[in-house]
Amino acid sequence: MDIKYVGEHLWAGNTGNFFVVLSFCGALLSSLSYFIFSRNEVQNASWKSLGRTGYFIHASGVLGIIGTLFCMLLNHMFEFHYVWQHSNTEMPMRYILSCFWEGQEGSFLLWTFWHVVLGIILIFTSRKWEGPVMTIVALVQIFLASMLLGVYVFGYKIGSNPFLLLRTVPDFANLPFIQNANYLAKLDGRGLNPLLQNYWMTIHPPTLFLGFASTLVPFAYAIAGLWKKDFNGWMKPALPWTFFGVMILGTGILMGGAWAYEALSFGGFWAWDPVENASLVPWLTFVGSAHVMVIHRNKGQSLLVTFALTIITFILILYSTFLTRSGILGDTSVHAFTDLGMSGQLLIYLLTFLILAIVLLVINWKHFPKPETEESVWSREFWMFVGAMVLAVSAFQIIFTTSIPVINKIFDSKIAPPTNPIQHYNSFQVWVAVIVAMLIAVGQYFKFKKTDMNAFLKSISVSFIVAIILTATIAFLIDLLSVQQIPYIILLFASVFAVCANAGYFIAVLKGKVKLSGASVAHVGFGMILLGALISMSKSEVISRNTSGVDLQKLGDDFENAENIMLVKNDTLSMGGYFVTYNGKKKEGVNIFYEIDYFKKSTDGKYVKDFTLYPRVQINPRMGNVAEPDTKHYLEKDIYTHVTYAELDEEKEKKPEEYKKAKTVTLAPGDTIFGSNSIIIFEGLDKNVDKVKYNLHENDIAVAARIRVVDVKNNSFTALPVYSIQSVYAVPFEDEISELGLKFIISKLIPESGKVELEVYEKNANFREFIILKAIVFPGINILWTGCLIMIIGTVLAIRHRLKQSN
Amino acid sequence: MKKSHIIAIIIIAVAIGAILSTVADSSTYASFKMALENPGKEYHVVGKLEKDSALVYNPQVNANLFTFYIKDNEGTIKKVLYHGTKPQDFERSEQIVLIGKMKEEGNFQASSILMKCPSKYNDGKPELQEYKAQS
Repeated sequence: MDIKYVGEHLWAGNTGNFFVVLSFCGALLSSLSYFIFSRNEVQNASWKSLGRTGYFIHASGVLGIIGTLFCMLLNHMFEFHYVWQHSNTEMPMRYILSCFWEGQEGSFLLWTFWHVVLGIILIFTSRKWEGPVMTIVALVQIFLASMLLGVYVFGYKIGSNPFLLLRTVPDFANLPFIQNANYLAKLDGRGLNPLLQNYWMTIHPPTLFLGFASTLVPFAYAIAGLWKKDFNGWMKPALPWTFFGVMILGTGILMGGAWAYEALSFGGFWAWDPVENASLVPWLTFVGSAHVMVIHRNKGQSLLVTFALTIITFILILYSTFLTRSGILGDTSVHAFTDLGMSGQLLIYLLTFLILAIVLLVINWKHFPKPETEESVWSREFWMFVGAMVLAVSAFQIIFTTSIPVINKIFDSKIAPPTNPIQHYNSFQVWVAVIVAMLIAVGQYFKFKKTDMNAFLKSISVSFIVAIILTATIAFLIDLLSVQQIPYIILLFASVFAVCANAGYFIAVLKGKVKLSGASVAHVGFGMILLGALISMSKSEVISRNTSGVDLQKLGDDFENAENIMLVKNDTLSMGGYFVTYNGKKKEGVNIFYEIDYFKKSTDGKYVKDFTLYPRVQINPRMGNVAEPDTKHYLEKDIYTHVTYAELDEEKEKKPEEYKKAKTVTLAPGDTIFGSNSIIIFEGLDKNVDKVKYNLHENDIAVAARIRVVDVKNNSFTALPVYSIQSVYAVPFEDEISELGLKFIISKLIPESGKVELEVYEKNANFREFIILKAIVFPGINILWTGCLIMIIGTVLAIRHRLKQSN
Repeated sequence: MKKSHIIAIIIIAVAIGAILSTVADSSTYASFKMALENPGKEYHVVGKLEKDSALVYNPQVNANLFTFYIKDNEGTIKKVLYHGTKPQDFERSEQIVLIGKMKEEGNFQASSILMKCPSKYNDGKPELQEYKAQS
C-alpha cells in the first residue's frame, strides 16, 4: 500500500517543522528564564543571559521558518499545502511576498517576525526594564509560536502548520491524485487571489503588522510597571514607542484605505468595513494612551486611565485578530479571513492577557499615588485628558457595532448590522471628529497647570478668524451651504481651525523651531486628514448617470438613482462635463484593459482629448474575475473609473449579417419588449390578411400580428408576421424590418387570450460591444494623502524629541 | 463633585447613547415572510439562488437593473430586484445575504448583496464578496 512519491522535498518540511518547534521552545525558555530573573534580579542574575539565549533561539527559529517557507514558495514546492494554496507557476514573482502573507499562517509569521525584531531591540535598549518587559514579550511569543505548531493535544488542534503536505490534508484524503506516485509532475498551485496581486498588498500588510506589533512594547512596559510597582517610571521609555506605534499603525491603516481606493471597487477609501474598523479602534485608544502618557509625564495624574488605555490597546489588537480570523465576521465583512479552527486558541490568548492585566491593576490600584490637587479646567492636561476620553468613546461606538456578530454568538440573538453602516458610523463619528478637531486646535494654547485666559484668547484669536474666513470660502467653493449639511459645515470649520491653530502655534509661539514642533505638525496633518476625508466623502459625485435616450421609467422602478452607464464601442456620451468614448479592449496576460477616452469641449466647440483611462478586469477562472478601477489624479480631484460589467465571453467569429438565435416571448396585445436597439410593441392581431399575397386558399385561416417597432431615434416601423392554418397544417410567414435587422415569426397562437408566441430574431450586427461603467469624482482627496505625510513627519519629530529627553 | 466624576458620568452617558443608537440602527436577520409582513422595513435575508428561475440582466435595456429569484431559509421563493450591475460570478454563489426591503407588489428590493462563493474557487472555505446598489 505504501506509495513511493516522486520528487517531494520532504527535507524542506522537516526543516520547517524543526524551526517551528525551535521557535516555540526558545520562547518558552526565554519567558521562564526572564521571569525567574525578574523575581530577584540580584540573586538570579545568571538567568538573564539564559533568557536572552532563549530569545535568540526563538528568533533564529522564526527566521528559519520564514526562510524555509520562502524557499518553498520560490521553488514552487506544491507538495506543501500552503505553497499549493497561495501560489502557482503563472504568477509574477514580484507578488511572492503577497503569497507569503495571504494565508493566516503567513500573516501570523509576519506578526511574530516584527515581535522578534522589537524584542531584540528591547533586549539592548530597555536596561533595567529588560527582565519584566522581556518576560511579557516572550510570553506573547509563546502564544504566537503555538499558532504554527499544528499538533493535537487531547483531541484539540493547536495551531495550523504551514509545512503540511498537500496529500496529508484531511479534505484531500480520498482524491485520486494521492494514488499517483508521480502526482507532482502534473500539479500547479491554486495561485494568489487576484485582489492581492497589487503593489499595495506588498507594503500594506507588513506596515500594519508592524503597527500591531508595536502596541506590545507599551503594553509590556505597563505590565512591568505594575509588576515591579514602579507606576510612573515605565512611561518614559514607553512613550517614544507609543508615538512610533501610533505613526506606523496609522500609516498601515491608511495604506489599506489607499489599496481599497486604488484597487478595489468600493468607490472610496473608507467603507467602515468590520475589518477596517478592527484596526482603527486600537489606533484610537493608542492615540489616547499616547496623550495621557504625555500628561502624566508632565503632571502625575490620571494614572489609572494611562494604564487602562495602554493595556486595552494591546487587548484590542488581540480582539481584532480574533474578529478577523475566527470567521465570526463571515456574514458581515468582505475580506475577513476564514476559520482555521483556531478561534478557541485565539480566545485563550486574548483572555490570558486580559485577566493578567486586570488582576495586576486591581492588586495595585490602591497603591497608586493620589494627586493632591485636581487639575485646573484651564490647563492643557485637562483638555488632553478630555480628548483621550473622547477617542475612547469613539472607539467604543465603533467596536460595539462591529461586534454585533459576537453578541449574536454569545446571546444566540439574530441582530443584523445596520443596513447603512456608513451613515450609522458617520452620524456618530462626525461629532467625535468635531470635538477632537476643536481640542486639537485649542489644546496647545493652554499651558500646563494653569492658563492665563486673556493671553490664551489673544493668541488664538488670529487663527480663529483665519479659520472662519477659510471655512466660509471653502464652503462656498465646494457648495456646502445647505441646512442639511450643517454637521459637515461645523466639521469643516473644526478641521480648518485645527490646521490653522496648529500652524499658527508653530509660527507664532514656537517661532518655527522644528525640534519642538512634533505635536503641532502632526496635528496639522491630522486636521488635513479630517478635512480631506470630509470634502472627498461629502462631495464625491457619481458622474456616470444614465443619459441614454431609452425611456427606462417604463420598467416601473426608481431609476433616478441609476449610477452605471452603458457605453457602446465607439459611441460618445456626455458625462459630468466630459465626453467619454469607449475605444475597445485589449488583452494582456490575465488582464483585459478597456480603453476609455475622456474629452473636453473647447470654447470653439471642438472635442479635445483630456486623458485616457484603462480600467481592467483580471480574468481568474479559479477564484473569480476581478475588476480593477483606474483613476486620473489631478491636484484638486480624482476621476475614478470602474468597469462594473462587461461581456467577457471570447467573441466568436460572428457574421454581422446573420441572425442570432431567436428569443421566444409570449405577448398579449399592448405588451412591450426591448430589443438591443429598439422597443418592440405588440399592438394586436389583424384578421384582414391579403391571402393572395401569401398564396393562401379561400378557406385557409390567416392572422397577422401587428408589431410596431420604435428605434432609439424615435422612428417607427411596422412588421406583420402572419400565422396561417392551411387545412390542418400551421404555416407561419415571417416578416422583417431590414433597417433594424429584426425578424419576427409567430410560433404559436393562443386564441382564448389573444396572445401570441413570437420568435424575435436580431442580426449579429445589432449587438455592438459595450461596457457598463461607473465613474466618480473625488474632490480634495489629495488633502487627505498630504495630511497623512505631514502627520508622519510630525510624529517622527515628536519621537526624536522624546528620545532626546529620555536619554 | 469632582471633575473626574463629571467626566466619568458624561462618558458613561455617551457610551449608553452609542449603544442605543446601534440598537436603533441595527437590522434583523429575517425571512421573506417576515419582510412581507412589514413592507418597507429593511431586513437582512439569507437564502440561496434559485438557479432554475430566470436571472435577468439586460444591460442594453437597463444597466442598473438585475433581477433573480431567491429561496430563503424557510423555503419561500421571491423575486429580487437589485438596482446595480450583475455581480461577477453571481451564478457561482452558494449562499446570498440580501439587505433590503419588501415592496408592496411582493418583490424584494435589495440595496446590497453579499455573496458567498463555494470553496473550490476560494480558500478551501467560503469567502465573501460584497456588492452595493447605489444609494
